[in-house]
Amino acid sequence: MANSSLNRKFDQIKKREEEKTFSTNKRSRIVNKFLNNRLAVIGLIIFTIIVLASIFAPILSPYDPMRVDLRSMRQPPSFDHWFGTDSTGRDVFARVLYGGRVSIFIGLGSAILSAVVGIAVGCYAGYKGGWIDVIALRVSEIFMSFPQIILVLLLVSITGQSLFNLMAIFIVTGWGGMYRLARARMLSLREEEYVQALRSFGLSTFTICYKHMLPNALSPIMVNITLSTAMFILTEAGLSFLGLGVPLNIPTWGNILNVAQDILILQNYWWMWGPVGIVISVFVLCVNFIGDGLRDSTDPSQQG
Amino acid sequence: MTTYIIQRLFIFFPMLLAISFLVYGGLELSPGDAVSHMISPELALSITAEQLEAMREAYGLNKSFLTRYWIWLTSMVQGDMGYSMAGGVAISEIMAKTVPATLELSLVALFFSTIIGCSLGVLSALKRGSATDNSLTVAGMAGVSIPEFFFGLVAILLFAIELQWLPVGGRLLPSYETVWDRIPNIVLPSLVLALMMTAGAMRYARSSMLDVLAREFITTARSKGMPEWRVNLLHGFRVALTPVVVLIGFRLPLLIGGSTIIEQVYQWPGIGNMFIRSVRGSDYPLVMTISLMYVFVVLTASLIIDVLTALIDPRVRLGKE
Amino acid sequence: MDDKDNIALSVRDLKTFFYTNNRCNKAVNGVSFDVEKGKTLCIVGESGCGKSVTAATIMQLLPTLSRIEEGEIKFRKDNKIINIEKLEKNGKEMREIRGSDIAMIFQDPMTALNPVYTVGFQISENLKYHTNLNKKQIREKCISLLSDMGIPLPEKRVDEYPHSYSGGMRQRAMIAMAMACNPKILIADEPTTALDVTIQAQIFELMEKLKKENDTAIILITHDMGVVAELADNVAVMYMGNIVEAGTADDVLRRPTHPYTKALLESVPVLGRGKNQDINPIKGSTPDPYNRPVGCQFAPRCNWQTESCDIMPEITQINDTHQIRCHKYEQFFEKYNEKRNS
Repeated sequence: MANSSLNRKFDQIKKREEEKTFSTNKRSRIVNKFLNNRLAVIGLIIFTIIVLASIFAPILSPYDPMRVDLRSMRQPPSFDHWFGTDSTGRDVFARVLYGGRVSIFIGLGSAILSAVVGIAVGCYAGYKGGWIDVIALRVSEIFMSFPQIILVLLLVSITGQSLFNLMAIFIVTGWGGMYRLARARMLSLREEEYVQALRSFGLSTFTICYKHMLPNALSPIMVNITLSTAMFILTEAGLSFLGLGVPLNIPTWGNILNVAQDILILQNYWWMWGPVGIVISVFVLCVNFIGDGLRDSTDPSQQG
Repeated sequence: MTTYIIQRLFIFFPMLLAISFLVYGGLELSPGDAVSHMISPELALSITAEQLEAMREAYGLNKSFLTRYWIWLTSMVQGDMGYSMAGGVAISEIMAKTVPATLELSLVALFFSTIIGCSLGVLSALKRGSATDNSLTVAGMAGVSIPEFFFGLVAILLFAIELQWLPVGGRLLPSYETVWDRIPNIVLPSLVLALMMTAGAMRYARSSMLDVLAREFITTARSKGMPEWRVNLLHGFRVALTPVVVLIGFRLPLLIGGSTIIEQVYQWPGIGNMFIRSVRGSDYPLVMTISLMYVFVVLTASLIIDVLTALIDPRVRLGKE
Repeated sequence: MDDKDNIALSVRDLKTFFYTNNRCNKAVNGVSFDVEKGKTLCIVGESGCGKSVTAATIMQLLPTLSRIEEGEIKFRKDNKIINIEKLEKNGKEMREIRGSDIAMIFQDPMTALNPVYTVGFQISENLKYHTNLNKKQIREKCISLLSDMGIPLPEKRVDEYPHSYSGGMRQRAMIAMAMACNPKILIADEPTTALDVTIQAQIFELMEKLKKENDTAIILITHDMGVVAELADNVAVMYMGNIVEAGTADDVLRRPTHPYTKALLESVPVLGRGKNQDINPIKGSTPDPYNRPVGCQFAPRCNWQTESCDIMPEITQINDTHQIRCHKYEQFFEKYNEKRNS
């Protein structure tokens, strides 16, 4: 019964309270709540491991991810090649590590840059209003009228494929959500008394909105950055899987998975696509856990 | 209500027009023109400049940008969508073939994901903090984290290749004519698509329900001594429904976007598959028409959602609060 | 209480604890009081003192992460005594009491009514579950309830949504909903805090009228001493989960004995005494509920604190009706009377 388990939990808490053994560390409430969220902590740990593994790829794997070795084609996982080798004899483990560098860079980089653009525009437009706001709002609406993947594909067909283009496309398609978030926060903060007070002190618009108001909107923005990181990594993987993302000669998680379109490889050489698919899924799952933990711990209305 | 709809239409059409202009202009900037994609490398060596010019002339590529936009727009409004550059097939013909396939797939997936997602989400909210809730939450997160094509591939490997229960892909096989013959083909893609969307719908239904359950009128309802099911469903779910309806609308872009990749994985002959092919082949008229059709669908959906929301929630309808 | 017919509800040594954020908050920590038929009991105290939790406990409307630890809530229903704390939280017996025998109105009528249903529908739900009336009779009853509450054009208003009601009208509708089944006890949790002062007076007038006509016992929860003076028959003053002083309105308001009650009364400006009256705000602020003082909860803010206050004082009966939880009340009582007499 759920009730009795709840009662047991209550008894435990009460006992701790009476013995005064509850944790009385001085960490902030937000950090505490985040650390109490088991999934978020696990997510953070695995996230860090994967990021570090990608950064220190040369130390972890002796192989060059690009080097074709026709003597060791399509080898199953072994002690020499942990994830086996692909159709041209490249070490899959090394490719996953190096691919992580590019994929994480694209995901995190695009999320942060689109946040910067979205916030810069959203704060100013939300605080000042006027024609800037009207134009920015309409432009963001135009971008939001497309299904995300369709807009990305459309832009890819306009600009052509390259790493730089892909990031630019992600920023162009991603800033709108952040802009709306920042704008909505600013609109509600604008009416608060401390802002009125600052205005009456004669502070400049720039100082008020970026120095005094922005910090108050930071926690939803942080949550949004993590969630859009997850989304961009998935989009990159999807595009590269279609062969329309990062050019195939650069290893990314999506590019590695691209080979699975071939039904022979899908059926016979699971190591070429299985491990990398799991790595993407686990990594994105961890990012989502972190985002969720952040949201719960920064949301004052949620307790429990 | 009528004025509300008219107001919305005043946003709808200018938006569509502006987007069509931008898309048309955007493709104009893309590298290479269509003609250079239409000829094979061997042919390119033997073809003369005059012949190239003649081809450009034939496809109307020599007129000024605005003129071409105007011609294209007017014919579009009249229902003439022009011709695909690959093979010169009428776009309207391509659409007529691919749109029903995508609709079939999406609607089946939407139906399953909405029903499963909403009921699991509400269940999860009502049992907040229990083991059921926790495992559903983790499962939901996994659902949004696994790339859909990877999920689709694993499903193919498992159910089509290893177990051989279902076909690997495709929609219509030559001799399969009745509805029953076709069902096995739609099972895998629609279930994969539905499961990917279920996660989102579930999370959303859960948070919306939790949000409502914390509101004071729920306590009021409970203080009247009504049974829990009535408090939860009539007072809780009914109010939580509004944002869920909005969600389904917002998910529509995700749905048709998501089906793009799933169609590719399962070789489903839908619009998404066609779009990817046209992007790969730089078939600009087709890219343009299909993306505008997507925009049209999204805008229409959001229009319908707004109207539906207004119908469900009397505060919006009367323009108060 | 068992032999006293005039007592509708009796609460003994009630403890309700909250378990949020992995901590235990002793929101209500040993509260006892009686509610007499046809009388108003005011529970007064600062925000966070546990008065609303007490009300929610009586109705068993506590959030999930909380529970009744010990104590008794005895409710007299048709000469039978029911122990409310023993009933299942949302079980059949509890639901039969809620809304029909004990009804509740809430602080903010803006949020306490469901925005997507008409006011009439929300009142009729109460009747549907506790009476045998048919649809037509229910509708007529709704209309007559609304007109009793002084809502103009009740035939039309009954089909309107809450958002087309003003704040005062919504609270009237709430009262109509609560009074629909002639409850024996009406719990009003700060019913006028969210309303204008003029509307406040009308709502109280309405509650007084209902009390007289139906012999309903009212538990009025408030932080406003002015309201207490106007409406209360009996008063219980709460501080940090305890009742520190209780008695008739006369006892508590005219002969306040607990330092906290006295401080509360002195912190309220009195109309007509002009600008120069002495208003003594209570020093300090309410302690963190997770870090409570050891003995008397008020000791750190009290001017009369001594070492003996490190032990929680027991309840002392000063006379038949007046009781207090303070070690020093005798000296304090004398000094206070001296000051008044000089």
